[in-house]
Parts: sequence; structure tokens; C-alpha cells
Amino acid sequence: MKRNFNLRRLGLALTALAALSGCGAPVADFRRYETYAHKVALSAGMEKGFTPTQRQDIDEAMQALFGTPDMPSLPAVEGIELGKIASLSRLKLAAGPVGSDEQGNPRGLYREHCAHCHGISGDGAGPTAAFLNPYPRDYRKGQFKFKSTPIGQKPTHDDLKKIVLEGIPGTAMPSFKLLPDLEVEAMIEYVKYLSIRGEVERGLLQAASNLDPDDKNARLISVLPANATTEQKAAQQEQIAAVKDVVKTVVERWDQAAGAVTAIPARPKMTKAELAASIKHGRELFFGTIANCIKCHGDSALGDGQTTDFDEWTKEFIDLGKDPKVVREFVSLGMLPPRTIRPRNLRQGIYRGGLRPIDIYWRMINGIEGTPMPALSTNVRKEGDPPEAKKLNPEEIWDLVNYVQSLPYDPINSPVEAYREAQILMERPL
Amino acid sequence: MGRFWSLLFLMVPIFGVGIFVWAMAGWWPMYGHWLPENVNAHGGVIDSLFMFILVLTGVIFLATTLVMFWFMWRYDGGKVAEPVTYTHGSHTLEVVWSILPAATLVFIAIYQMDAWADAKMRRPTLPNGQVKPPLAEITGRQFEWRIRYAGEDGQVGTADDIQLANDLHLPVNEEIVLSIKSADVLHSFFLPNMRVKQDVVPGMKQFIWFQPTRSGVFDIVCAELCGWGHYKMRGRVTIEPREKFDVWLAQRLAEQNQSQFTPAPVEAE
Repeated sequence: MKRNFNLRRLGLALTALAALSGCGAPVADFRRYETYAHKVALSAGMEKGFTPTQRQDIDEAMQALFGTPDMPSLPAVEGIELGKIASLSRLKLAAGPVGSDEQGNPRGLYREHCAHCHGISGDGAGPTAAFLNPYPRDYRKGQFKFKSTPIGQKPTHDDLKKIVLEGIPGTAMPSFKLLPDLEVEAMIEYVKYLSIRGEVERGLLQAASNLDPDDKNARLISVLPANATTEQKAAQQEQIAAVKDVVKTVVERWDQAAGAVTAIPARPKMTKAELAASIKHGRELFFGTIANCIKCHGDSALGDGQTTDFDEWTKEFIDLGKDPKVVREFVSLGMLPPRTIRPRNLRQGIYRGGLRPIDIYWRMINGIEGTPMPALSTNVRKEGDPPEAKKLNPEEIWDLVNYVQSLPYDPINSPVEAYREAQILMERPL
Repeated sequence: MGRFWSLLFLMVPIFGVGIFVWAMAGWWPMYGHWLPENVNAHGGVIDSLFMFILVLTGVIFLATTLVMFWFMWRYDGGKVAEPVTYTHGSHTLEVVWSILPAATLVFIAIYQMDAWADAKMRRPTLPNGQVKPPLAEITGRQFEWRIRYAGEDGQVGTADDIQLANDLHLPVNEEIVLSIKSADVLHSFFLPNMRVKQDVVPGMKQFIWFQPTRSGVFDIVCAELCGWGHYKMRGRVTIEPREKFDVWLAQRLAEQNQSQFTPAPVEAE
């Protein structure tokens, strides 16, 4: 009898273990964009927020358009060759649980390399995200910092590839240089996919907020009764067209990215003396009122100027009155606790977007999207500008780049060097 | 039951030694489980120290497990009817087994001193007698190796440095000196094929040196648990002839100094 009892207990324990460890992990799901839904509801003055049916409609539309984390799909968009942005076959390498298929091709690359920080849904809130400073990028807003295109344009494929290959020094983003090219390509396309998906979700939430708040039955796409009139049918077609339009607007901008790259004129060849003069002039511009770099980077260039600002990903939510209660609401919905954004300390020689002169040039001319760093392009003299207009000449951007590139090696950075310089100065006969 | 247990414990030395022999021979399925190829001119001494200690501990392992087997077999309660005798132990034996290991450890400590000094203290020198400056500085970071070549002026930390990640190239048949740093937590810079492993401690700058003897591509791994991504903190070191290395480095410098960009024409739709 006792032996039987023990066996039964063992059996129970094993069953419990199997149940707890979950024979087969739970199926991954895209998280709803709760923070944005809340923001849209607040700004549209919807007192009770979206109705469960409205949220359900958006979920279903999203699933129909983009599939699931295990089975991604891409909506067809008229007139756009989707393969140029992301191909389904490569997306499948990045999607799903980590592993490989029968042919030995990798699967689940995104979950293997990216999801723990950037999250399954690309919300920048994976399990490790809260420990990082700066926080990982939330792709869903569709904005990226380090790119060759102006603010408002998407990054090019090469821009994203550079970030994945080289990493972002000064942040937790490491380099994935040694992965096979196909795997890197797959992950980049999956990032684009998540970004497109997120922006469409925002578009749909925005569209749903325009529905008649008094009509309890108003839906993103109306469900027609059996005896629907032609008018009702036409109205439904219009609603479907509106959803397609949301998708099209987002995908189009990714399609346009390659054509929006900012060209960079060659840096003038300089002798040593000319370079010194250029750096000196760059310094004047740095302190000047047109470029006005010191406003944020500080007059010591240590990044200690304006330090109380936030990035767009945070501002979007906390700017609704900056009321701590509202901020707490967003945090409870999944926003990471807000942190101020710090202007770069230019004396460290760590450049997040890359240290090539063209990278620094792009940061200056195009600004950094989503941050308080403005684009200089509006302050550069163009043909037809009146001569008295306070603008930079295009070559002067290179003077600024030269000055910024000289800053990490300024003798004053090193206490020993600075002391030596001071001694030389003091011992010099007057 | 008694015979069963003694035979089971006899399997310990048999399998223990067998696995090592199997791995050393590289037989299936243990191909590539023994030491990776040594491509450092100074790596031989590390391997011989390893083999010396392995043989020493192997002999002791064999002896103790066989003695244990013999005791279990000889004094099997099921077979032996002799009464148990009590012994207070042997003073001489205790002295012997205390002094012998102590002496052995002291011997190893002295025997390896030269190898230690070569690996940690006697940094290669220039013809003028000064210590050789590092060719590059490696910074461990969660979870990558950032590389900074000294550039033309031979000094790390100046404007002409070449900065890269994870992809280290080095010239063959030269004394290579690298300086190792950490940007965040403890790491360990490990070049298995060079028999070089150096803990990377935040706030410390350390030097390692070796002399690659053949061209090829080898691993850089992190040998100190540094966080959840420790396992993928890998790099690659490519050993190549000096001429190829110089060309490669010049290309990286040219890439880093790119100061013009003309967008590729977009195909008209």
C-alpha cells in the first residue's frame, strides 16, 4: 500500500512539474499599444477610452494585416514592391521561437538577439530594457535616430544595417558583425516589419478615435446585417479603404527612404595650418548664435547645457500636462519611467551614430530625429537667400565637424596635459 | 549487492581515463574536444604545464579510485565473514600523505614561475630596450569587444586611432602586445588558440602578448560570466601576413575617414 501511495505521489509531482514548466512555452503574442491608445483616448476627450469591441476590431485588423509573432505576414500595398522593404521568406528567419527548420536554416533570430531588450512587439520594453540607459528603441513610433535621411524620413536599409553591424557605442546596443549576412538582413527586415506594424497600429487607433463617441455601435469596420443596403455596403468599403490607406501611408515612406538620403559634399582638402584655422572657425560657430551648439552641449562641450529635456518617445506621453498622475498612468500601461535625455559629451570621442566624418556631418545637417538636436539644414545658405541673412555657408558645416572631431583630443581634457600647458603658460616671460 | 558496487566504482577510473584518451585521440564523437591548435610561439610552455598537471593528477586519480575499488572488493560484507578490526590509524602514513602533496604543490609553484613571468611580467621589448607599446586596445563591453588600433603614431588614444568592433586582425610571426580594458563589468579576454586568457577588470589596464605562428581565423571569447549575453560575446581574430594586415588596416582607416557621400541613384519606378 505504502509503495503505491508513493508512486502516486511521484506521478502527481511529475505531472505538476510538466504543467509548470509548460510542455511547449506559451505562444508569443504582440502586445497591444496600450500607451498610445491611452494617449489617443485622452487627447480625443474619450472619457471611457475605447470600447472593448473597438479594441477587438483593431486587434483583428492588425492580425489580418501582420499575422502573429510566429507567423508574420505583410499587407499588399498597391504600387509598392514590398520585397524591397522586407521579404516574407527572410521575415520568417527572424520570426518565431529560437531554433532551426528541417533544412537547418535559423529561426527566431529576432527573439534570439533582439527581443530581450526591444521586446517581442518591438516596443523597446523587453525584460532587460528597464536596466538600460538609454532605453532600447521602441520601433512602433517609426522614428530612428541615426540615419542618412532628414527628420521625418525613414532610415535607409544601409542605415539600419550599420547600426546592427557596428552597434551603438555608449549604449547597450552591441555589434552583430560576425553573424552571417543573411541573418543580419533578416533581423533588419524584421525591425522594419515591427516598425511598420507599430505605426499602422497607431494609425488605426487614431482612426478609431474619430468614430462617433455617442454611437455605441460605431466600429472601425462595420459589420453588415444580412439585408444591408447599398449605402451601408458602400460605407463599409470606404472604411476598408481607410484602413488600407493607413497602411499605404506608412509603407510608402519606407519605400521612399532610399531616395531621401542627404548627399554630403566632399570635405575640403586642407593643410595643417588650414585645418587649424578651420577648427578655430568651427569653434566660433559652435559658440555662435546660428548653430548655437552650446545651448545643449554646453560651453565646455561636456554635454552640460540644456539637460532637462526628454526625447520624443517620452515626450509624446508626458507632455500631456506633465502631471505626475498622468505619467504614472502611462508607466502602469508599459511606458518605461521617463528619463531626461542628455546632450552628448563631445569630449569623450564616443559617437553613437558612428565616428566617420560623414556620420557627424549627417547628425548636424539633418539633426537627430526624436531628440532635441535640431537640423542645421534650415540654417544653411541656399541660392536666392539675401546676403544679409544670418546663415551658415555649406563649407562651414565641415568647420564644425572638424572642431567637434578635435574636441576629444583637446589637451585640456587630460588633467596631466592641462597642468603641463598651464605651467608652460606661467613660465613664459611676460 | 557488494560486488556490484565495487565493480560500479571500478568504472569511475576506467571511464575517467577513457574519456580523456578518447578526446585526445579525437575519435568520434569527441572530435575537436581536446585542446584547440596552439598557434602561439610561446603557447607550448602553457600546454606542457597543462599536460604535466594533468598527468600528475591523473596518476593520483587512478591510484585513489583503484585503492577504493580494492577496499570495496576485499572487504565486501556479503563475502567476508572475518570480524571487523579497529585501527587507530598510522602516524607515519599521515605524515607522508601530508608532506608529499605539500611538497608537490611547492614544486609546481616554483616550476611554473618562469612561465608566469614570461606571460605576465616580461613584456616584449623594442630594439632600444623599451617595452613594446600595444598595437591595439581591446575594451570588453556587454556584449562585444571594441578594438582601437594605435594607428600611425603608435599611440592609442589619439585622433588617428582606428576603431572597430569584434573583428581583430593581427600580423603573423610578430610579437603582438594588446592592452585590455573593460567598459562596464568583469570580462575575460580569451584567445584559446594563443593560450592567452586575461581577466578584464573595470578600472584596470592590462597587457597581454603572444606571437602568432600561422595565418588563419580564430576565436575570441569571453571567459568570465559577465551577464545574460556572455555566451554570445564572441569576436574573431584573423592572423595574416604583415603586408595583408597593413592593407586591411589602411582600408579600415579610409572607411573611418569617409568624408563624402553621393547617394546611389534610385531606380525610377
